[in-house]
Amino acid sequence: MNAQRQHQWLSMALVSVVLAAILTFLYMRSYGMDDTAYFENVALLRDLKQLDARRELAVLKSRMGLSLNYDALVDQLSELEGLSQRLVTALRVDDGEAGPALMHASESLHSALMEKKRLIEHFKSHNSVLRNSMAFLPTAAADVRTATRNAAHESNAVRPMAVDVNNVLLAVMSYSQAPNESDAIQIAADVQALSQRRSSLSADGADALDVFASHVHTVLREQPLVKQLLDDISVVPTSQGIDAINNLLNDRQRVVEQRNGQNRMYLMIVATALAGLLLYAGTRLIRSRALIDRVNQQLCEVNAGLEQRVVERTEELSVAQGELLAAARQAGMAEIANNVLHNVGNVLNSVNVSAGLVSSKVRESKLQGLVKAVQLLDSHTADLGGFLTSDEKGKVLPGYLSKVTGALSAERQDIVDELDKLTKSVDHIKDIVATQQAYSGSVSTVEVAKLSDLFEDALRMNAGALSRHRVGVTCSAEGIPPLLLDKHRLLQILVNLISNSKNAMEGVADRTGQIDLRARVVGEDDDERRVRISVTDNGCGIAADHLSRIFVHGFTTRKNGHGFGLHSCAIAAKDMGGTLTVSSDGCDKGTTFTLEIPYRSTVQERVAEYA
Amino acid sequence: MRTTRATFHLLVAVVALHAGGALAMDEPIKPLPITSNQDPARVKIGQALFHDARLSANGSVSCASCHDAKHGGADSRAHSVGFGGKSTAVNAPTVFNAALNFAQFWNGRAASLEAQVDAVVQNPVEMGSAWADVLKKLAADANYAAEFSRAYPDGITKANVQNAIASYERTLITPNSRFDRFLRGDEAALSDTEKKGYAKFKQYGCIACHQGANVGGNMYQRFGVMADYFEHRSAMTEADMGRFVVTGDENDKHVFKVPSLRNVALTAPYFHDASASTLSQAVDVMFRYQLGRVAPAEDKAAIVQFLGTLTGDLPKDSL
Repeated sequence: MNAQRQHQWLSMALVSVVLAAILTFLYMRSYGMDDTAYFENVALLRDLKQLDARRELAVLKSRMGLSLNYDALVDQLSELEGLSQRLVTALRVDDGEAGPALMHASESLHSALMEKKRLIEHFKSHNSVLRNSMAFLPTAAADVRTATRNAAHESNAVRPMAVDVNNVLLAVMSYSQAPNESDAIQIAADVQALSQRRSSLSADGADALDVFASHVHTVLREQPLVKQLLDDISVVPTSQGIDAINNLLNDRQRVVEQRNGQNRMYLMIVATALAGLLLYAGTRLIRSRALIDRVNQQLCEVNAGLEQRVVERTEELSVAQGELLAAARQAGMAEIANNVLHNVGNVLNSVNVSAGLVSSKVRESKLQGLVKAVQLLDSHTADLGGFLTSDEKGKVLPGYLSKVTGALSAERQDIVDELDKLTKSVDHIKDIVATQQAYSGSVSTVEVAKLSDLFEDALRMNAGALSRHRVGVTCSAEGIPPLLLDKHRLLQILVNLISNSKNAMEGVADRTGQIDLRARVVGEDDDERRVRISVTDNGCGIAADHLSRIFVHGFTTRKNGHGFGLHSCAIAAKDMGGTLTVSSDGCDKGTTFTLEIPYRSTVQERVAEYA
Repeated sequence: MRTTRATFHLLVAVVALHAGGALAMDEPIKPLPITSNQDPARVKIGQALFHDARLSANGSVSCASCHDAKHGGADSRAHSVGFGGKSTAVNAPTVFNAALNFAQFWNGRAASLEAQVDAVVQNPVEMGSAWADVLKKLAADANYAAEFSRAYPDGITKANVQNAIASYERTLITPNSRFDRFLRGDEAALSDTEKKGYAKFKQYGCIACHQGANVGGNMYQRFGVMADYFEHRSAMTEADMGRFVVTGDENDKHVFKVPSLRNVALTAPYFHDASASTLSQAVDVMFRYQLGRVAPAEDKAAIVQFLGTLTGDLPKDSL
């Protein structure tokens, strides 16, 4: 569908490009057919023809003696020459189909004009001479007549000469009007006859006769020449040449006009085709515009629906998020509760132990013996002294009483001690609860404590279980001064770790359990100095794939564990600015937890305060 | 063709009927134009070039060397001397009113003044230059370079140099001669003898060839119409052949351009071969060979006097 449309558009574009190209071509072609050249050439030809005619007229005027100088002829000649040259140049640049013929025609016209010019030049020369002689001939005849008249007194024979001269003069006059060869021969013969009689004349008369004869000869010589020249001039095919060029130009113009008409038709066809194409494209455009509008509207609707849905979804999401938040809060609260319960549970162990001890002590109290002794005394109240001194039983009674008293006081001491421990454990529970109430752990109470004391407390809190499982414990925290510590956090961590280690011993049968508690200071510099506490056991160890998850909340390997202890330890360590790490060589190879916390001696603290 | 000819002859007849009345209509000689419309910038360059000997191969001659203002724009020597010391073939015609001649040179071989300049500059006897050298020399001159670029779009070219000189020459017209004033109606401009001379000039037929504004210079004529002028010539030169040299036509042998008679009193010697040293000698030759007539000495003297009235105002700042 898409490809087809693209194809359609492509072909349309192609067609329009082709049409435009044809249009351009036709335009160029019609541009090439410039009419002005034709009209200029025709005008040039007309001028040429006019000038040529005027030149012929000027020639005739000169012949007739109407024009007394040749200036007009000369001016027209130069003008004519210029026009002819222009025409040749104009037609030379013309390169149409009629080009060669036109070239030929214009060149032959030019040479005809030049030939005419040449003839006219000759005409001018000969005409001048002829006219001069013709004008002078009557005078010359008169000169001869005068000479013969003067001579007439001497000889009668000469008398007819004047008549002959007059006859010749008349003959020449008529010859000049209508020249023909026979007249010319006759005149020449007459002049010849006259010349033969010159010896009879005086010297002046002979000279006059010679002059007359020479001018008659000149007329006889020049007249046919001039006539011939005039005839030649009239037949030089200048006007024919002009007409020929005119016809050629007209023919070509007709062809050009024909082609112009053709061109116009082509132009119209192409323009119509282009207009049709344009119309088609227009309708296509309008149609596609409508389509676009429709699709646009649909899109708008869909958009509005989408927006509505987005609002709804957003609301749903915010509700869900609220629920999630509540759940998370609940989960957090549960976690906290778990944490508290776990830690409290740990301590409750020792509370239980202490309570059990106290109750067993009270149950097994030596108080009964004292009660029996008092009853014995009561039964002998009458004779108390005698009883005490004489009676077998009474005699041992004082001693017994003192032993009971001693035993009771020892008992009381034990119970007091145990109650002390109980109180401490309860205190710890109180602290745990207080700590957990602080929740974030950011509230920490830092106090001075000795690590060895903390070790002892922690062990004691687990003492019951440890003794039950017969776990051996070694402790070393030598050389570590009292430090500023978050005592309860550290204690919580230690209790947890010891409890873990103790649990790790449960499945181990082949060896007696052993826990090592170790503390030492690492790092040279004061700033980098840290306390490293390690809790090592030889219990079941941790599989390598569990190591990475050991501190993750909810991760446990025990059946009844909740995966909370180590997680809370890690958080507590972090709260103290320390780290808790684990290492195990694998299953059944024991485990080491290492806690590193910043070393803050009491001295340092003071220095820091001053600083 | 036949009809054309018939029409022509008819026309001849018609014109002939009116010929008698028309003869007295006007004078065959016309006064010279008083102004010539030329570009002043080009004329100025042309004037400088006209007097510039750099046009000749060795810088020895300029146009003005042979067209001397003191001698009516012609050369007083029978034959001019070219750049190499050789004599020219003909006597130098005057440059004054040359623009009005229908062709240049005695044999009319140059159709225009430009062509005349072209021929003279390259003539091996006269200036002997190559145009390339001339243009180089002119281009080296800052003045020419500046003035040419002002006057011509394409600066110093062969055509422009020729045109500049021709433009200048077209200004070398000598109007207001006494005869022109007479023609314009000033009867007192000529003495009676001079008027008689003019009448004789027409009557004897001089006017047949020496007519028009330039009193000649508008046609060719054989030298020796009524008698063979060259009959007694010992050594014929190529120049004596006249137009034959140009056309090769037997009929053109000894045919020359009819020279203008304007300022003729100043331009001695006369004829192409400088054979006449005075005007009266020249008039004698004309009577004998061209008119074939004899005339009383007083008529000839009157004609010579008339010819003197053809001297016009010489260009003021010329030559």
